[in-house]
Amino acid sequence: MNTTLLIPIFLPLVAGFVLLFCPNRIRALPKVLTLCISIVAFAVAILIFTQGSLTYAWSVLQIDNLRLDLLLHAKPLGAFILLFAMGFGLLITLYSLKSMAGAKRLNEYYGAILLTIGGSAGILLSNHLLFLLIFWEIVTASLYLLITTGGKNSNFAATKSFAMIGASDAAFLLGISMVWTLSGTFVMSDINLATTSAIPIAAFLLLMTAAITKAGAMPLHTWLPTSGEYASASVMALLPAAIDKLLGIYLLVLVVKGLFSLQSGALSVLLALIGAGTIVVAVMIAMVQHNLKKLLSYHAISQVGYMILGIATMTPVGVAGGVFHMLNHAIYKCCLFLCGGAVEQQAGTAELDKLGGLGKKMSITFTACLIAALSISGIPPLNGFVSKWMVYQGIINMGSSQTSAAAKLWPVWLVAAMFGSALTLASFVKLIHSVFLSRLPSRLKNVKEASWLQTTPMIVLAALCVFFGVFYYIPLKLFIYPALGLDASTTLLGTWNSTLATGLIAVGVLLGLLILAIGQLSKKVRLVPTWTCGEVQPNDQMIIPGTHFYKTVSSMNGLRQLYNWQERGFFDPYNQSGRVGLAVTGLLRWLHSGLLPMYLTWVTFGLVVLLFVLCRIW
Amino acid sequence: MGTVLAGRGKGNAMTQALWSLFWITVFPGFLFTFSLGLLATWVVRKVSALVQWRVGPPVLQPFYDVAKLLGKEILVPEDAQRIVFIAAPLVGMAGTLLLSTILWRVAVAQSAFVGDVIVVIYLMVLPSLALILGSSASANPYAAIGASREMKLVMGYELPLVLALVVVIVKTGGQLNLAAIAQQTPVYSISGMLAFLVSLLCIQAKLGFVPFDMAESETEIASGVLMEYSGALLAVWKVMHALMLVALPLFLITVFLGGFGTTGCPLAWSIGKYVLVLVLVILIKNTNPRVRIDQAMKFFWVYCGIALVLAVVLAAIGSYYDINWL
Repeated sequence: MNTTLLIPIFLPLVAGFVLLFCPNRIRALPKVLTLCISIVAFAVAILIFTQGSLTYAWSVLQIDNLRLDLLLHAKPLGAFILLFAMGFGLLITLYSLKSMAGAKRLNEYYGAILLTIGGSAGILLSNHLLFLLIFWEIVTASLYLLITTGGKNSNFAATKSFAMIGASDAAFLLGISMVWTLSGTFVMSDINLATTSAIPIAAFLLLMTAAITKAGAMPLHTWLPTSGEYASASVMALLPAAIDKLLGIYLLVLVVKGLFSLQSGALSVLLALIGAGTIVVAVMIAMVQHNLKKLLSYHAISQVGYMILGIATMTPVGVAGGVFHMLNHAIYKCCLFLCGGAVEQQAGTAELDKLGGLGKKMSITFTACLIAALSISGIPPLNGFVSKWMVYQGIINMGSSQTSAAAKLWPVWLVAAMFGSALTLASFVKLIHSVFLSRLPSRLKNVKEASWLQTTPMIVLAALCVFFGVFYYIPLKLFIYPALGLDASTTLLGTWNSTLATGLIAVGVLLGLLILAIGQLSKKVRLVPTWTCGEVQPNDQMIIPGTHFYKTVSSMNGLRQLYNWQERGFFDPYNQSGRVGLAVTGLLRWLHSGLLPMYLTWVTFGLVVLLFVLCRIW
Repeated sequence: MGTVLAGRGKGNAMTQALWSLFWITVFPGFLFTFSLGLLATWVVRKVSALVQWRVGPPVLQPFYDVAKLLGKEILVPEDAQRIVFIAAPLVGMAGTLLLSTILWRVAVAQSAFVGDVIVVIYLMVLPSLALILGSSASANPYAAIGASREMKLVMGYELPLVLALVVVIVKTGGQLNLAAIAQQTPVYSISGMLAFLVSLLCIQAKLGFVPFDMAESETEIASGVLMEYSGALLAVWKVMHALMLVALPLFLITVFLGGFGTTGCPLAWSIGKYVLVLVLVILIKNTNPRVRIDQAMKFFWVYCGIALVLAVVLAAIGSYYDINWL
């Protein structure tokens, strides 16, 4: 029994609930309260992580054999994710102090942030499926609230997100009830079902749906880009980029490795297919986006593919890679959204073709964004490379050590993952070019760097990207291996001496500097205007926006059609189910025409049917 | 990695670091590969000249060129993001240097150094990435067009390159260690041959040689990616290119052609392999016109892609039924 576990859950939840109803005129209270509580939550998370396996139990009620106990258990996986979730909460709160300073509904914004923090702590510590679901719903609801604080059109995005995640939560509830029927308990550590017959498989699929919708994998991803376009950047950085990934993948690991033991080949293929498909398709869409935040949102989808693929390999290195990628993704994507938010705030737009050359004006944001962008593209020696490299090893290892159908298809998964990585690089080259490099449009001559409150979180996250890449064995040994119960010495199969490589690259750079120094001996550096072969043009006409970079791809035969359909929402389950819903209501409307003869006809028809049924005339 | 995790002695790690320093700066790193690369540059120019019925430059011409560039002043565009503009060639060169040192250490010591084959594939992107970022930072519209073409080219050849890697992994039985891969010769099979030939074209594109030189195309976008570079900065790019001219054929030899043996008779055989790859690259360079970027992407994605999917299927069948020549 340890009451420490209650603090990160109920302190933010209670405070957040109070803040929701606090009058909006007291503008200092939400900021101070949220900052203090997120610091406390982070500190307690560190304590929980270092103290190891703490438990707490409190019997709430019991009806017959249905027991509702508040069971909390800090397992290694949950505790390490909790540590990072609370860390992200703190960083985003810090960032919001400046970025949301002008927002209208400050109390709701900070209240929802606290609810998110408390809810996610609850999910990560809960050992009881029903409480897990309750906390899960709290996070969903606070996501809705947070998106609505965005501004124009954000209500639409919030509704769409809530509808899609809410629908997956219904699947979650159904899955939980099936699990309860099968195993007779809600206590997660007591459940282990074999996926050999129809009902466990159905339950598995339902729980998986909930997990991948939260994480944002295809085909249930469409809430993410819509909210990316309309929600504020700090919200995107907190939920879809960081905490939703942590929670979704946490649930997926729990489902795949804890609640069920995966014995069906078809399910492995399905998981791997979702993973590989998500990587390639989402990044292809991301490549042609014109809006900074929407582009980042599609990458938040694409990267989930690596995590799912890693877990689907069911090899130690693959699963470890998938979970490590979850952590790395949360770090660099959070950083990217924060940078994107700073750019949007300072330059007044997030449209790529209206930006450019900001690297000179916002050098800190640029540096952080460049590091995070190279990380997500898997450039060695940064952290994104390490986890992708582990996922690749997992795929190759699966091919040589397993005999299932998913293992036989390993080349498909490997090619999708590695090619997806090249496309990610292409997409971020476009982003870096059109936002920070290229030429500065005359409109943006007076742009300034964002406040230190905003740059500090970016610097912290970018530094983590470098640290987790160069010294990747530290987070692996500290967080990932204990969380999954793996043996540190046997997990990795490949060779990557990241620290030495970084040192050698530094030596190479020094050699290059030496060459430059020799060149400098005789002549000085001279600043010159841009050389355009003698053709003098005004500044704004010399800008080549990055949005033009991949027209070659989007106008290729075959791809052009697909892009066109995608643009029109053909592949969006939200739109499609909306269409089905409209068709159904259209039918009902047609039936309810308000004409008495029509109703009488139906009544007569119904009576005839009843008569037939009751008298059994056939 | 395993040895680092196992916590070997501090003195040992120190010696290892000092040796690595020697490897990267002198042999087989900078001095050696740089000299060899400039010699290879001379071979490229001489053979091209012979193909075109010219006399061609003297052996030391590439050295003179680099020395001359070092004596010129460095021009930096006013609108450029200066740090990226100057750092890009340095990082690109450092990455290529690391790549070539990894491959040479595999050849010399027959054991993995720093990274495995996936690491090498990723390090091979660094030069192109540096080129793109540097040219994009120069704020020149021509350079921006060059950067977009370079990036599309990378996207184009990355797919067949990954497929070729899959063929190699299937052929070598799931090996990632470069030293282990180097002991086998996948090219003695239909799938391995296909993968080798397509990889050769990918190397051609990575080197920016005709028919895949659209990122630099002098005649239409005035050297594109390199347009604003001059003096010592341009010299660093030239050095990087010289290093690539050694490292990339060496990659093909390590992965497909049974490795680069370095003692006695195998050394002559290895040099023969290197010259073969180099001459193939030069001949392709001299007998083809430049293609457009959309043609290049279609070529890599569709034609090379189909050929290599076939190769992967053949290799998988071959490994399943133990037929080595498939």
